[in-house]
Amino acid sequence: MTRAGAAAFGQSLALIALAPLLAGLIKRLKATLQNRRGPDLIQPYRDLWKAMRKETVVSETASWVTLAVPYVVFGGTAAAAFLVPAALADTPLGPAGDAIALVYLLAVPRFFLALGGLDAGSAFGGMGSSREMMISSSAEPALMLALFAAALEAGTTNLGAMARRMAELGWAGFNPGLALAAAALFLVALAECGRLPVDNPATHLELTMVHEAMILEQSGRGLGLIEWAGMLKLAIFLTLLADLFLPWGAALGADWTQLGLGAALCVLKLCALAVAVALVETATAKLRLFRVPDFLGTAFVLALLALLSQGVVRIGL
Amino acid sequence: MAETRVSCARLAQAARRLRDEGPCRLATVVATDDRSAEAAFVVRYVFACPGRFETISAAVPIPGACCPSLAQLFPVAALFERELREFFGVRFEGHPDPRRLLLHELWPEGAFPLRKDFKPEAAAALPAAPPYAFVPVEGEGVFEIPVGPVHAGIIEPGHFRFSVAGEPIIRLEARLGYVHRGIEKLAEGARAPQGLRLAERVSGDNAFAHSLAYCQAWERLAGVEVPRRAAVLRVVGSELERMHCHLADIAGIATDVGFPFGAMQALRLRELVLRRAAAWCGDRFLKGINAPGGVRCDLDAVRARELASFVKESARGFAELKRLLGETDSLMDRVEGTGELPRRVAEDLGGVGPAARASGVDLDLRRDLPYAAYADIPIPVAVRPEGDVGARMAVKFEEFERSADAVVRALGALSEGPCGGPIPEGAPGAEGMGWAESPRGEVLYWLRMGPEGTIARLKIKDPSFVNWPLLPWAVRGDIVPDFPLVNKSFNLSYAGNDR
Repeated sequence: MTRAGAAAFGQSLALIALAPLLAGLIKRLKATLQNRRGPDLIQPYRDLWKAMRKETVVSETASWVTLAVPYVVFGGTAAAAFLVPAALADTPLGPAGDAIALVYLLAVPRFFLALGGLDAGSAFGGMGSSREMMISSSAEPALMLALFAAALEAGTTNLGAMARRMAELGWAGFNPGLALAAAALFLVALAECGRLPVDNPATHLELTMVHEAMILEQSGRGLGLIEWAGMLKLAIFLTLLADLFLPWGAALGADWTQLGLGAALCVLKLCALAVAVALVETATAKLRLFRVPDFLGTAFVLALLALLSQGVVRIGL
Repeated sequence: MAETRVSCARLAQAARRLRDEGPCRLATVVATDDRSAEAAFVVRYVFACPGRFETISAAVPIPGACCPSLAQLFPVAALFERELREFFGVRFEGHPDPRRLLLHELWPEGAFPLRKDFKPEAAAALPAAPPYAFVPVEGEGVFEIPVGPVHAGIIEPGHFRFSVAGEPIIRLEARLGYVHRGIEKLAEGARAPQGLRLAERVSGDNAFAHSLAYCQAWERLAGVEVPRRAAVLRVVGSELERMHCHLADIAGIATDVGFPFGAMQALRLRELVLRRAAAWCGDRFLKGINAPGGVRCDLDAVRARELASFVKESARGFAELKRLLGETDSLMDRVEGTGELPRRVAEDLGGVGPAARASGVDLDLRRDLPYAAYADIPIPVAVRPEGDVGARMAVKFEEFERSADAVVRALGALSEGPCGGPIPEGAPGAEGMGWAESPRGEVLYWLRMGPEGTIARLKIKDPSFVNWPLLPWAVRGDIVPDFPLVNKSFNLSYAGNDR
């Protein structure tokens, strides 16, 4: 394996390993903004470790689906992580899949989560699954369009090449089309990752849950894997935002200086995005459930405008 | 308190007259087991009329133990009668819902705990009750969602049965009783101090209002007036309690709409109030202050001054909180139009407290039947017409501000003098009622003396008992994920309801 290949592989592993740290950072930032002390940055690791060591209790009415869900969810999300450029503008699975593959790799876990919610036959799981499907049916088109807007800039849907193009652009990377697409992707990220104002990750109210309702029946290692996958999904979305929409950053070559710089910039951008998520979650209340399609409709329109604007710039429509 | 004894047959007529002429509302129904004295159960319908309470009582003869139900005249009567049926075995003719209310299936059929001859050992041998039947809702696409009694968060237990079509709620039925402790039975044979300890534990965060109503029942029964200083201190305690309860409610609403920032600010203010309350008599929830005859803990001049300046400071912090919540559009969007409770329903079902006032029902014992020193420290009643979550929140906002103002005024009016002391024991058979406007609404304590200063019967009306049936009406047509918010805006007490 070349050094570039090793670095690409390593960054994906690092993304998986450090995703809980990002989740911890957001939690900590939110606590600070609310005048609370908040947990340690590494608290998510402790929570995962705790869940992993616990016994798995499965409902008597559940089938093999409930047992398979955690592995499919974690596997699908982890595979998606290998398509995402982070510190280096290259991905280990680059030749095998592009932005469209990424969207569908993220759809597989969602489908199985919803199945898992229905599987045990509890009322909450069913409610969670139906709400999740309602949300994702409007989130996915917006996600696609936002990614296409960035793909037009690079002329390819290969995520590594898209990140490379963005890194090369520098100042020229600030254009209205990309800004609109970034805004759309940010809104989609909040919805897809079950953050406020779409879903409240900290709620204890069964009746209001979306993501949490689907995994109420999960326990032990399965729960740990699903939670880890959830943190990873957020990390993937924020990394996409950082590399495809914020100029500079991803290293173009695999020498140590560029890699170090790329990693540092990536961490810096992720921290900035974590602050943005924490600010949104502090400043707004959760939307009424039936307002969520409006919220995602906004994301869709933003993404559509981004695409049009890119079209005007590129092709001179 | 005027009591009119009528026969069972004339009960409805007398009640109708009170309703039409008063106009009076039914406040509570008290039953006593008087089989040893007059071979009957006596049922007392207590009405709140302008400026006074009126009681109509009827003796229900033992064979058959049956009386006509007043549910047609006062829908709220159905609730009280349902309770008497399971605790005394008194049946009511024409009652719309003869199912059990607080006692569950494990409680045997035919065992009536508030009868004087009730024996736990004998009851254990009786057969178990048949399963409780929820009202079925059928139709294409209608689902039932059972929730609780154990919830995901640390809250009191209660079971909710939703019938839904998709997300909209068609019907909600609440089944409570999980924290029934038999407090009214425990009070029988207790002396005043033990009864006081029970009263303070009926509904933990409303401990002061409950102990106040309890003490006033003793004082009325003994014909004692508390000293002026004690009466004023009781106003201070009542309003401090309202302040911390309303802050907790506002924090709960902010939490439930997913706005933890606002919730944290409200909880911070509440914590300060609780600490200040603890500085008074050592208890954060103001327990141990009230006693029959007055208050046990005096406030010296220094602490009174500190309390007044604290409350002023707290009102400033509250103004900031109110502005923050009012300016958060995403929060206001959630509360406006959600959980609308029609005024008619609130009136018919005997709703009290902020929940009723937010639906335009202008009731407040502090003004209507003033106790303690409320006659000299009048507090304007906060009423809103909308009946939604926003209105309930707005009523609590207003009440907090007026409570803070009242505390400052009361502390300013604090005259030198005694705080009260022991009061004479009432004669056996003497009866008295005490009342207080707790943060959740009207609290009533009806007390009858037994021999040697013991309690023969203590009937407690907690506001949550009459307000719980309002909730299913408020959530009709709303969607399932909005239920916790509507529930929180009422913030009813499970323990107070179940007793």
